[in-house]
Amino acid sequence: MSALPALALLLALASPAAAHHVGTYTPRDNEITTNFKQIKFSLQAKKFDVALRLFEEGALRAAMRETAGTLPAGLESGTRAALQSNDGLEVERRLMIFFAALARELALEADRQLADGKLSREARAATGRRFLEAMWRYYNLVDFAVSSRDNKSSTALRLAFDEAEGYVKTTSASEADKLREPLRRISQLLSTLIDTSSALPRRDS
Amino acid sequence: MREPPTWRLPPVWVLLVAVVLIVCAEVGGASMSRFKIELTRWARGTMLTHPAVHGLVGVRDVDERILDEALVKFDAGLRLFHMHAEGMGLVIIATTTVAATLVRTAPARPLIISLLTVGGTCYPLGYLLWAALIPYVGLERGKAIAEWLVWIPFGGATIVALWWLAGVVALRLVRR
Repeated sequence: MSALPALALLLALASPAAAHHVGTYTPRDNEITTNFKQIKFSLQAKKFDVALRLFEEGALRAAMRETAGTLPAGLESGTRAALQSNDGLEVERRLMIFFAALARELALEADRQLADGKLSREARAATGRRFLEAMWRYYNLVDFAVSSRDNKSSTALRLAFDEAEGYVKTTSASEADKLREPLRRISQLLSTLIDTSSALPRRDS
Repeated sequence: MREPPTWRLPPVWVLLVAVVLIVCAEVGGASMSRFKIELTRWARGTMLTHPAVHGLVGVRDVDERILDEALVKFDAGLRLFHMHAEGMGLVIIATTTVAATLVRTAPARPLIISLLTVGGTCYPLGYLLWAALIPYVGLERGKAIAEWLVWIPFGGATIVALWWLAGVVALRLVRR
């Protein structure tokens, strides 16, 4: 056997070595989303006392206090009062506002960071993708509550998320630069949603 | 009358290397469990000192996810070292015993045994290297370094030696 075919055979035989298992990663809930789900499931089971305890002792309330400056006034005390009066719909509305505010702050921060002209196209896409993941993780929790109250906003938000995702996946420089536009739209839509939801009378009243 | 076939042992140094590899696997597994918090704290602290490498943006909601993924992969690297080192130790003993017994030609036998031993011993170390590199150079760069320095050369050596051994065994079967 001549050297070249022997080498080719050797490489072909050894090529599976390039395929090695390095494990998989499944994104996990953070302490805020975990606490939200605990409260939500307690409310669905009509265990208002459990939901109240989970809210009072959990990360969600701590985050509400920490970000009080970006939230409508009285959101935390109103959520607590709604839990104490066993008002599930009001709790849902207030939590919807909270998560919409978290997603909006992330959209604003993403827009601010992506405005940095020194970022390479790859860095811009990577940063945009990470912010989008974080925003979606929060918004996704309350999308049903949003759509049941304001279907148009819910649809517009999902379209903006889709558009932004398309831009972070693209390899074209001009397309990647367009990412800020849907991010701004998301923050505006969420701001409007927060304002109207905070001002509106309760759905069941 | 034909002599009944008997298994021949590979050289003692091969058995020693394989046993030491299994010992390393067990010590690694035990250490992972015993020092889990310390290892996680070290990896997280090191990642925080290299924010650009990991693409950290300074926003907790974004960064926690990045750090979590890197820590999960760091842990996976250590676990995969533990499992591969255990497994490859046994693979070395089994395959070199087959080679010592059935490969009769002088240049082929030591070569196959050496490839199986060196390849099988060094391959699991790639996972240890990958885990150690993650905090400093990130997931993908660490993986690429481990691939080219360890997994591809030593994994390739093991695979070539195994095919060679399989060919020799098949040839003996045909010539019988």
